[in-house]
Amino acid sequence: MLVPLRNQGVAMSVETQRSIATMRMPGGLGGLLPALILIGLFFVVPVLALLLRSVTDPAPGLQNYAALLGDGTYARVFFNTFLVAAVVTIVTILVAFPVAWMLAIMPPALASIVFGIIILSMWTNLLTRTYAWMVLLQRTGVINRALMATGVIDQPLPLINNLTGVTIGMVYIMLPFMILPLVGTLRAIDPMTLRAAALCGASPFQAFRRILLPLSLPGVAAGGLMVFVMSLGYFVTPALLGGTANMMLAEMIAQMIQSLLNWGLGSAAAFILLVVTMALYALQLRLVGARRATGGV
Amino acid sequence: MKLIFAGILAGLLTTTAAKAEDMVFTSWGGTTQEAQTRSWAEPFTAASGIKVLQDGPTDYGKLKAMVDAGNVSWDVVDVEMDFAIKAAKDGLLEPIDFNAVPKADLDPRFTTDHAVGSFYYSFVLAWNKGAVSGEPAGWADMFDLKKFPGKRTFYKWSAPGVIEIALLADGVPADKLYPLDLDRAFKKLDTIKSDIVWWSGGAESQQLIASGEAAFGQLWNGRVFALEKDGADVGASWSQNLTAADVLVVPKGARNKDAAMKFLAVASSAAGQAKFAEASGYAPINTKAKAEMPADAVKALPDAHVDGQINLDMNYWAEHRDEIATRWYAWQAK
Repeated sequence: MLVPLRNQGVAMSVETQRSIATMRMPGGLGGLLPALILIGLFFVVPVLALLLRSVTDPAPGLQNYAALLGDGTYARVFFNTFLVAAVVTIVTILVAFPVAWMLAIMPPALASIVFGIIILSMWTNLLTRTYAWMVLLQRTGVINRALMATGVIDQPLPLINNLTGVTIGMVYIMLPFMILPLVGTLRAIDPMTLRAAALCGASPFQAFRRILLPLSLPGVAAGGLMVFVMSLGYFVTPALLGGTANMMLAEMIAQMIQSLLNWGLGSAAAFILLVVTMALYALQLRLVGARRATGGV
Repeated sequence: MKLIFAGILAGLLTTTAAKAEDMVFTSWGGTTQEAQTRSWAEPFTAASGIKVLQDGPTDYGKLKAMVDAGNVSWDVVDVEMDFAIKAAKDGLLEPIDFNAVPKADLDPRFTTDHAVGSFYYSFVLAWNKGAVSGEPAGWADMFDLKKFPGKRTFYKWSAPGVIEIALLADGVPADKLYPLDLDRAFKKLDTIKSDIVWWSGGAESQQLIASGEAAFGQLWNGRVFALEKDGADVGASWSQNLTAADVLVVPKGARNKDAAMKFLAVASSAAGQAKFAEASGYAPINTKAKAEMPADAVKALPDAHVDGQINLDMNYWAEHRDEIATRWYAWQAK
């Protein structure tokens, strides 16, 4: 639970900086002080403590990082983490795109209702939603029972404790974060461009591939990167819907902290994850910035 | 600004910390902690006037964090015995004041300078009768995919139990288990790895077996006892049941140490242990407790199945905890 919250913390602080930059606060630096103290106290200090622990516990030196980078198990967990995040991002984009397009062309009154439904799912407790997926996906769960009762399958499908389970559960949670930025981008596209394409004899698929897709790419990139970065640090959903073979970094960190009481190693792993996340976030800001620089789409 | 922070901090502190005359007991939740509340905390409060706040689940990382930060809000914690031995060595625990906690009747197997027994339990083989044809006779059958197909569930965390089960199933005699042959154990576990569903808590193990999500599993005997009491269609084999213990500890720097010691005296007393054992199906660590229990409750205890019973070696595990855990998680992640 902590990791996703931290991600939101990053998002918020960047958001704050951005609004500060555009609003030009009248109080100058003095007016910024409370916010800076808050960020310093609740973000910078803990991160520095984390970094410090990773190079001092149990002894000063870089042995924690050496252990993490030199060991096959940890390498596999890092790989798993990126694999899951990538799969989740791709599937989320594929599912979110048609929904976002539908929202973009819907009458506004209807669209706001559908928006409400999507947002509502975000307000429901994450753990509750994940447990609901367990009930649906397990071997004796709703989906398998229904399929077996109707004779579609005679053996339960392995939908849980594997990559399939993690992907389903996480895509569901990530969808709003993809749909919302995508709708914004799609709404900004002039519908006349599509009509023009049709008039020039383009098939619907050609119009999509040559017009809609390239024009929506900034939204896809922004949403995709957001989903990817958030997925990297996910804990609850992979722990409950995945198997031990799909272990992600956050779960490994929890094991190091809670079970092995090896806080130096856990801190080092958390710091590596943080650095990767920040790097990707910086990339996202550049992409968004680049879009702004060219005057939008 | 400072004032606001001070206010917020003060608010946080007063809401999370217990009042001076109260104490906090932390355990694993579920049916076990309920039984502990009723058998120990309620009589203790009635006799002493000290309120016992319940917290949980037990989290070793949190315990260490509290002790390291010098801000310990747990007074008595139910932990696994191998952890207690290791934690005492690492200086995380207060020594038990045996002037306040009468030691004479406590089972010496589960009493140390820094812990008194909470209860002891057996890992047994349990199965869902609807999902299994025939009766598994012992651990070896859990590794026989032809005779007993289906998912099997084991304890997820690195702890005494699964490694021993694999070795026993592979034919290692009970008296030759230690030192553990990890290579051999993991090789045996590899043969069923894709059919293993891991359980991470007692309630989950019950749910997996009761629903038939897993056909069999290695369960704590108290959880099987609770399933049977609820009328679930489960079978159990006590052949080569493996005993391990939970113990009660006081984290170093606990705020209400005196109250904690008084609580331990009640929890480990014959009456407290008898009441808890009757409610949970776990065995008492006070040697006088069984005399105070109804005869049919005694029959449900691991003590009734000493034939072929194997004591998991807590000292061996305390010694090799980290090394086994590192290999365990590496193997799981493969």
